[in-house]
Amino acid sequence: MAEKKKTYVEDIERTLYDIKNEDHSVYKSHSGLTPEIVRDISKRKNDPEWMTEFRLKSLEVYNSLELPTWGPSLEELNMDDIVTYVQPDAKMTGSWEEVPEDIKDTFDRLGIPEAEKTSLGGVGAQYDSEVVYHSIQEDMVKQGVIYTDMETALVEHEDIVKEYFMTLVPPKDHKFAALHGAVWSGGSFVYVPEGVHVEMPLQSYFRLNAAGAGQFEHTLIIVEKNASLHFIEGCSAPKHNVTNLHAGCVELFVKEGARLRYSTIENWSRNMMNLNTKRALVEKDGIIEWVSGSFGSHISCLYPCSVLHGENARCEFTGVTFASKGQNLDTGASVIHAAPHTSANINTRTISKAGGKATYRSAVKVTKNAPFAKCSVNCESLMLDNLSRSDTLPVMDIEGDEADIGHEAKIGRISDEAIFYLTSRGIDEEEARAMIVRGFVEPIAKELPLEYALEMNNLVNIELEGTMG
Amino acid sequence: MLNEEIFSAIPMRTWRWLKVNEVPVPAGLSENVQTEKILVETGESKSIVLDRREGGALEVQAHIADGGELNLIYAQLVGEEQAATSRIKVYVGKGAKFNYTTVEAGAKHTAAELTVDMAGDDSFADVWGLYFGDGGRKIDLNYIIRQQGKRTDANMQVRGALLGGAEKTFRGTLDFLEGSKGSVGREDEEVMVLSDHVQNRSVPIMLSHEDDVDGHHAVSIGKMDEEKLFYLMSRGLDLAEAQKLVVEANFQPVLDRIDNDELKAEIDAYLQRRLSNG
Repeated sequence: MAEKKKTYVEDIERTLYDIKNEDHSVYKSHSGLTPEIVRDISKRKNDPEWMTEFRLKSLEVYNSLELPTWGPSLEELNMDDIVTYVQPDAKMTGSWEEVPEDIKDTFDRLGIPEAEKTSLGGVGAQYDSEVVYHSIQEDMVKQGVIYTDMETALVEHEDIVKEYFMTLVPPKDHKFAALHGAVWSGGSFVYVPEGVHVEMPLQSYFRLNAAGAGQFEHTLIIVEKNASLHFIEGCSAPKHNVTNLHAGCVELFVKEGARLRYSTIENWSRNMMNLNTKRALVEKDGIIEWVSGSFGSHISCLYPCSVLHGENARCEFTGVTFASKGQNLDTGASVIHAAPHTSANINTRTISKAGGKATYRSAVKVTKNAPFAKCSVNCESLMLDNLSRSDTLPVMDIEGDEADIGHEAKIGRISDEAIFYLTSRGIDEEEARAMIVRGFVEPIAKELPLEYALEMNNLVNIELEGTMG
Repeated sequence: MLNEEIFSAIPMRTWRWLKVNEVPVPAGLSENVQTEKILVETGESKSIVLDRREGGALEVQAHIADGGELNLIYAQLVGEEQAATSRIKVYVGKGAKFNYTTVEAGAKHTAAELTVDMAGDDSFADVWGLYFGDGGRKIDLNYIIRQQGKRTDANMQVRGALLGGAEKTFRGTLDFLEGSKGSVGREDEEVMVLSDHVQNRSVPIMLSHEDDVDGHHAVSIGKMDEEKLFYLMSRGLDLAEAQKLVVEANFQPVLDRIDNDELKAEIDAYLQRRLSNG
């Protein structure tokens, strides 16, 4: 019997993302990490004194913490080689016309200004370590919505920033949170006042152009009582031959009765170590919805965490991870139920191919203070060849007797029966396989804004060779 | 083994704060070490019962040659003042079968590791476990099935009930190694939690380095089905009796696999007594 041929799923088309611009940065810190470098970054950013102190303390914490003992090996990361601050040759502006041509071209190619015209309520664009563009629709400003870069927020809304900054993800949380605390730069600040519903999504786009650099943007979002927001985050970088590092931090505060949807499409280049930390604190009757697509990076460690702090707080997590050649994507979610009647629903899909390694890692913790907590976890993995790996490692830690927790996971390949069924209905085999993979990620795709859903479908474009075995 | 601080570990580590990466050696473990070697020859079928009443450590190594079958029952009913560990390693050859039934109900602190290497093509492993924790008992379990041969079939079914201030961690791993084409694996854990002071940790791990496999795992943790309780109470049972009946029903598929009637009756009576006291 002839050996059956494998379904071949194309790698993600990266041409668009891989175009690199010449490095026109006006300043780069020395590579490595010392108090002098941290002081220098702080001085250049005109930090208030408390922030300089915060950075230096974070550096101390960084030096005192060990690398994680779990997850993908981070041995190839040498902090002495990483440039932690790269200042582009551009000032922050509210007009695309004022953005330098090569940087503007980059965002044009990524479709950001176009999306702003058609479907977004505001846009932020970061290039290397600094935000180069920020805008928000006038009517939102009138309602009191603040959407700006973190540096401006630190000047204009210092009290709010001081109250919330790195309180949810403290530097001592882990080594890369401490690193972030020491060298953070850029990112977005959003404040939605009580009762305000932001009708159109806000989007921040992060682009890392410089080789051997790190990006450490900080996103701080506060959605006040009974308000709502959809925030979209996109990330990409051209491919370099040296390791780049992304250690961003996202802190989301969802107040009583508020709702926040946080969507991410991560498509970093394959030389990126993506060690990002995201956490939400959800108060009474609040809802956090995560939609997370992980396609890029060489190594990724990403597990958005939801702390359900108030009664009836809810979390919905929807994630898809696609690991291909040379990628080790360790993704998942964690939920901490810390109040009565809190509920969470985690739904993920992972695909691995061509030697890619995909790991689903999660934690569901129900504390004694959370009677009647409910959590349902569903993770499915599709492997497209036996060069790849797919692992699931969920942990449930439940205290008390009133919780209702369910977990389900499946792993496997495209079944011959499904192909046979579809081909017997007159669909050709190539299309049948494509339909099955699209169907596999469909629960995730339908949660994405339309243009991202289309992009994702392109990303998992299928090419089939051979016959059914 | 007894001098090690770590008795056993999961095949893939996770966050340290969850405290599930390692099974510590129980405190106060006696020096008593019992060892067993079981050899099942090609085409042979053996049934063995390990009826354990003394604390300390138990080491079992079993080798099931091609086409052999081992039916192993392990009942751990060690006195509640003692600590007990067990490490059972099983090699399953081509076309061989391993049927395992375990009851972890005794000892103040239990640490148990089961490793099944399904090395042979078409090998079969059917693992059914029951654990029961009450009072201040600690139960720490780490079951690993490695599927290496082609077309292996593994099933891991675990039922548990926890009351009082019991603390339990169950780690169950299905590991599809490269080359395990056509293999299937299922893992289920159902936990009934009957007290507000219980701590339950469940870690259902599935690892795969082979695409042509079919793996499933599921965990269900919760209090008793109120509809079932309501039904039973509407038939005249009080709450405690109804709860007892529901737990027994949950345990029944495991207990039914024990074909030694005397032992089965003893375990049944032992669990009933503990449930009544709880």
